[in-house]
Amino acid sequence: VSDTRTPEWLLTPEAGLCPCGRIGTRRRRSFVDKTISGVSNVMRQVLRADDVAARDGVLQRIDPRIKLVSVAGALIAVALVHHAVVMVVLYAAAVTLAALSAIPVWFFVKRVWLFIPIFTGIVVLPATLNVITDGEIVIPLGTWFGHEIGVTRQGLHMAALIVTRVAVSVSLVVLLTLTTSWTRLLASLRSLFVPRLFILVLGMTYRYVFHLLDAVDEMHVARKARTVSATANNAAGRRFVAASAGALFGKSQALAEEVHQAMTSRGWNGDARTMNTMRLVPRDVTFLAVCVVACSITLVVDRGLGK
Amino acid sequence: MHIPDGYLSPETCAVMYVVATPFWITAGRRVKRVVTSRYVPLIAIGAAYCFLVMMFNVPIPNGTTAHAAGAVLIACLLGPWAAVIAMSTALLIQALFFGDGGVLAFAANCVNMAVLMPFAGYAVYRLITRPASLTSPRRALAAGIGGYVGLNVSALAAAIEFGLQPSLFRSADGTPLYAPFGLAQTIPTMMLAHLFIAGVVEGVLTAGVITYLQRANQPLLQLNDDSARRGEAPVPSPRRVGFRWAVVGLAGMALLTPVGLIAPGTAFGEEAPEHLDLTKHHLDAVPSGLRHYAGFFHNALFDGYGFADDEHPVVGYLVSAMVGLVAIALVVMVSFKVVRLVQRARAGTREHLVGVAP
Repeated sequence: VSDTRTPEWLLTPEAGLCPCGRIGTRRRRSFVDKTISGVSNVMRQVLRADDVAARDGVLQRIDPRIKLVSVAGALIAVALVHHAVVMVVLYAAAVTLAALSAIPVWFFVKRVWLFIPIFTGIVVLPATLNVITDGEIVIPLGTWFGHEIGVTRQGLHMAALIVTRVAVSVSLVVLLTLTTSWTRLLASLRSLFVPRLFILVLGMTYRYVFHLLDAVDEMHVARKARTVSATANNAAGRRFVAASAGALFGKSQALAEEVHQAMTSRGWNGDARTMNTMRLVPRDVTFLAVCVVACSITLVVDRGLGK
Repeated sequence: MHIPDGYLSPETCAVMYVVATPFWITAGRRVKRVVTSRYVPLIAIGAAYCFLVMMFNVPIPNGTTAHAAGAVLIACLLGPWAAVIAMSTALLIQALFFGDGGVLAFAANCVNMAVLMPFAGYAVYRLITRPASLTSPRRALAAGIGGYVGLNVSALAAAIEFGLQPSLFRSADGTPLYAPFGLAQTIPTMMLAHLFIAGVVEGVLTAGVITYLQRANQPLLQLNDDSARRGEAPVPSPRRVGFRWAVVGLAGMALLTPVGLIAPGTAFGEEAPEHLDLTKHHLDAVPSGLRHYAGFFHNALFDGYGFADDEHPVVGYLVSAMVGLVAIALVVMVSFKVVRLVQRARAGTREHLVGVAP
């Protein structure tokens, strides 16, 4: 897509970051490489989210408070749905919304489904067997000390339900965060009665995460640059990790001190103020109404399909 | 350990929000009242630090890596209430922005990692470390044990939240609606992984950071250390020491109980499901689940192998032991805090961060 503000080369992982499988002999990535690629991964995600939030789409035009409330309501509705079929329809709706909001559909689908097989599929698969989920066996897998082992109908239904529910829930949150800039999302948390102090802390945290992320990156790149041997020394590695975490705390504390002095010198007296310029327009109210109706229809249809 | 949306029922999530809210309110109030305005940037950057500590990969012997949660570390350095806010903030950013942990399950994740973990770990840290000087190795050891205990308490809480789902929420034909594994499966699975790997990593990292700070940056260790701040060595009464070590011993024993689950048939105990009443004191939303309970366990994984009848007493015992332990830890913490607040009010001092040299 050409309308990104971030150059494309910044968003593609570098070959040099991952020595496994691409260049030379295959070996396990060290803890240093893993941390560095973790850092760049976070940066990449944030850059991409900022790009998408700046585009012109359906969800980008909705007031963030309305979006937040709608997503919360939709999440609850999704959690109450008991049929995998309904979930599939909801997922299709989420993908449609993503397409209407200028989110690349393939990226949106990939982001959710790359994560689900790892965390959900592997966890849920063994539970389809009758040893965990009792019920009528549809795929017999033989016997074990005289007990029949197999995949049950209830187990399959449960697995489909949980996998689709996790997919829809994650998709909804991704929809919210990809189409809303962080500052606007934070401001909208006020409308959900989150105290000012927490919002202030959240905002500052988000601001300084990137500053400290740089520090982590620098420490690890420096370590990587100094490491010649390929053989791992775990004890030294652990000492390094503990020392860099400790040093990072020192840096954080010094930074907090400086930030506090800077805030005080600019007139900070411990009271947080927000510039509240958000105003609801008819479009927002319509969107909220559509969401409420959609959630109600979903729940009615789901109950209609039986318990 | 970040629970995504979809595993826990909305009822459980609602209960967890109810459990977490008083902690958030209290933490916010304490930070406002007790602490000067300079604490706001300190906590904000502490939260950023929490977020980043979870990114540090620690090399472990089999050639792979693991990462720590860091909540106990923050509790040791900034105090448990500051850790509640810092961890909750870090978890919220992870949930909203990086899809790590759910939004409905946010409160459950907070109860596990931002409340239970720092408080349990910090209680252990304080119990062991109280008379120790700033640079004594015992302090680092205490932090390590605190990290280990904290992470395991947190993992146990997550295992209980998962494990209660299939017995409480099923559709008419017996299909589990949320997380499918029962307590008999979630507790051993979670606890084995955390007792032997993740907990050790957490402990090693926490102890390592404290050791590093003892060597390189001692003023940071004084941020949350009253005795060092006031320049007096506290002299605990002998009775208190005995009580402390008793609690430490209990913590160790309680943590070792899941190991007994590996050995079948050694379980001993009669009045099983009643023990689990204690867990409902967190989750008393659906009493009908209690009825399902006894019947549920006979369908458990080990049913065909002859020791299902002996299984639930172990779990019941373990759960009640851990819940009791956490309750004790919280009571101890709260009484410490009350005593300190009273002392502080008497002394009329509200100065808290004296001696912080950057």
